[in-house]
Amino acid sequence: MRFFDPHIHVSSRTTDDIDAMAKAGIRAVIEPAFWLGQPRTNVGSFIDYFSSLIGWERFRCSQFGVTHYCAIGLNSKEANDEGLAREVLEILPRFALKEGVVAIGEIGYDEITAAEEKAYQAQLAFAVEHDMVVMVHSPHRDKKNGIRRSIDVAREVGVPMGKLVIDHNNEETVEETLDAGAWAAFTIYPHTKMGSQRMVELVKQYGPERIIVDSSADWGVSDPLAVPRTAQLMLEQGVDPAWVERTTWGNALEVYSQSGQIDREALDTLPRVDQRETFGENTVLRGQEPRVDRPVPN
Amino acid sequence: MTTQDFDPRAFLADLLRERLDPAGLDWLEGACEEVAGGIASTRFGALLSLASRHVPARPLEPGVAALARAEAGLRGWNPERWDLRETARVRLLLSRRDLAEETFAADLEQAFRFADEGELRALYKALALLPGGERFVWRAAEGCRTNIVPVFESVACDSPYPARHFDDIAWNQLVIKALFIGAPLWRVHGLDGRLSEDLARMALDLADERRSAGRAVPPELWLALGTHAGERGRRSLEAEVATGDTLGARAAALALRRLDGGDWSRDGCDQAAFRAFDPRETR
Repeated sequence: MRFFDPHIHVSSRTTDDIDAMAKAGIRAVIEPAFWLGQPRTNVGSFIDYFSSLIGWERFRCSQFGVTHYCAIGLNSKEANDEGLAREVLEILPRFALKEGVVAIGEIGYDEITAAEEKAYQAQLAFAVEHDMVVMVHSPHRDKKNGIRRSIDVAREVGVPMGKLVIDHNNEETVEETLDAGAWAAFTIYPHTKMGSQRMVELVKQYGPERIIVDSSADWGVSDPLAVPRTAQLMLEQGVDPAWVERTTWGNALEVYSQSGQIDREALDTLPRVDQRETFGENTVLRGQEPRVDRPVPN
Repeated sequence: MTTQDFDPRAFLADLLRERLDPAGLDWLEGACEEVAGGIASTRFGALLSLASRHVPARPLEPGVAALARAEAGLRGWNPERWDLRETARVRLLLSRRDLAEETFAADLEQAFRFADEGELRALYKALALLPGGERFVWRAAEGCRTNIVPVFESVACDSPYPARHFDDIAWNQLVIKALFIGAPLWRVHGLDGRLSEDLARMALDLADERRSAGRAVPPELWLALGTHAGERGRRSLEAEVATGDTLGARAAALALRRLDGGDWSRDGCDQAAFRAFDPRETR
């Protein structure tokens, strides 16, 4: 099978991970901009970070046959540093319209402060102006209220619900997200947000419509293979293979293709990896033999 | 650098006119007019980005006649492997009316700072076509520090820029780095004219390193010796002919013919002859 992981922070993963992802059938990923585990202190750090999302990380993934897209945005935590947030919002348009940027994201609420709301609204307005998809991070604390408010504010600013993805849902929030007409993404984390078994039950109960599975793998305890592992569990437990395909590939493709930045035909062809062509030991290979003409198995 | 009657902007405009669909062409013409009218730095950057939404990244395929015109107009400049989107972006750049002025240099540097990979390729490819090329030497050397191979090649290959503007340190680094990352050395314009003892020594050191590590020596490495190999180089080449793999042995045999000088082009052992060892060309 082939998989689309529409939320993973590749810049905090190693090439071993990317290789394992490719071998497990992950064909495409979206890397949304987020915080780095600690706050940045100047706008230059954001510039270099955004630049790596549209440059080096994309190139690294391509070397393993994984197509890399990204979402650009100011995350909710750092929106609370208002002076810095203002500067970041000023340079955001320089990155948000680049090739392969499929959404504004991940944006939304963390503590649900006024500063977060201001940054969220400004970025929603930008998305509406440029007809972009929005990827919303829902808060860990006061999640239900946070999601409700994310949806309401997005609606007020004029984001069509078909272009709104609410991420990090759980059993308590899924109905509200789906009832609003938005897409409901679920992050499979080993210990916290959502486990694979719970995800299986959710798909059994709600079906595949507008439901998306992702890993949100980052620098914390997380699993870059969460999407294929969850798909496997769904199949083992009798979920219709067509449903598995939609929740781990088709739905993400459908919602983010609205950006016009995804070449679906190219994704449909089997990736060919030829590291000899574009790689030497000074890039990501360090002296090992390049892989040549070996299609990524899936 | 260009001959008097060669206008790269018109040349690229002609190629694009024959190859873009009407919608893409409309957008590009409008954007070029906007650029020519004078434009803020951020808007200039936005237009370079927006090219990805209007112009496909398909190969340019300029054809034999256009390539001959390019070579006649600017020796060493070869857009054979450009794509349409890169070409459109370079045309946007050349539409500026202040190319020779400081305002352009400042905006160009801003464009580099915010560029994605595709934009970087186009911006570096444009350097050879700009007046006052010496203004961008630091930027071009910076481009050679990338590990993204297509970006490196946009500076190093198919362009007269490095041979003309790089000092010896930057030039030698370019050549050796090309070998490290597997960029095609035979496409580094002017290589045969800028070989040196220093470069030959660096190449031979690299060959020794590879052998000590039990790895193959890249066939194109032997291209960097020229007539500067000395006795050490001759021994290294003879060892490669005797023990290297097929491609390595053939490349070393070719390099042995270069040791004593002469007319390499006539003798079929100039840098172009090393195309035979480029895996991308022989597949």
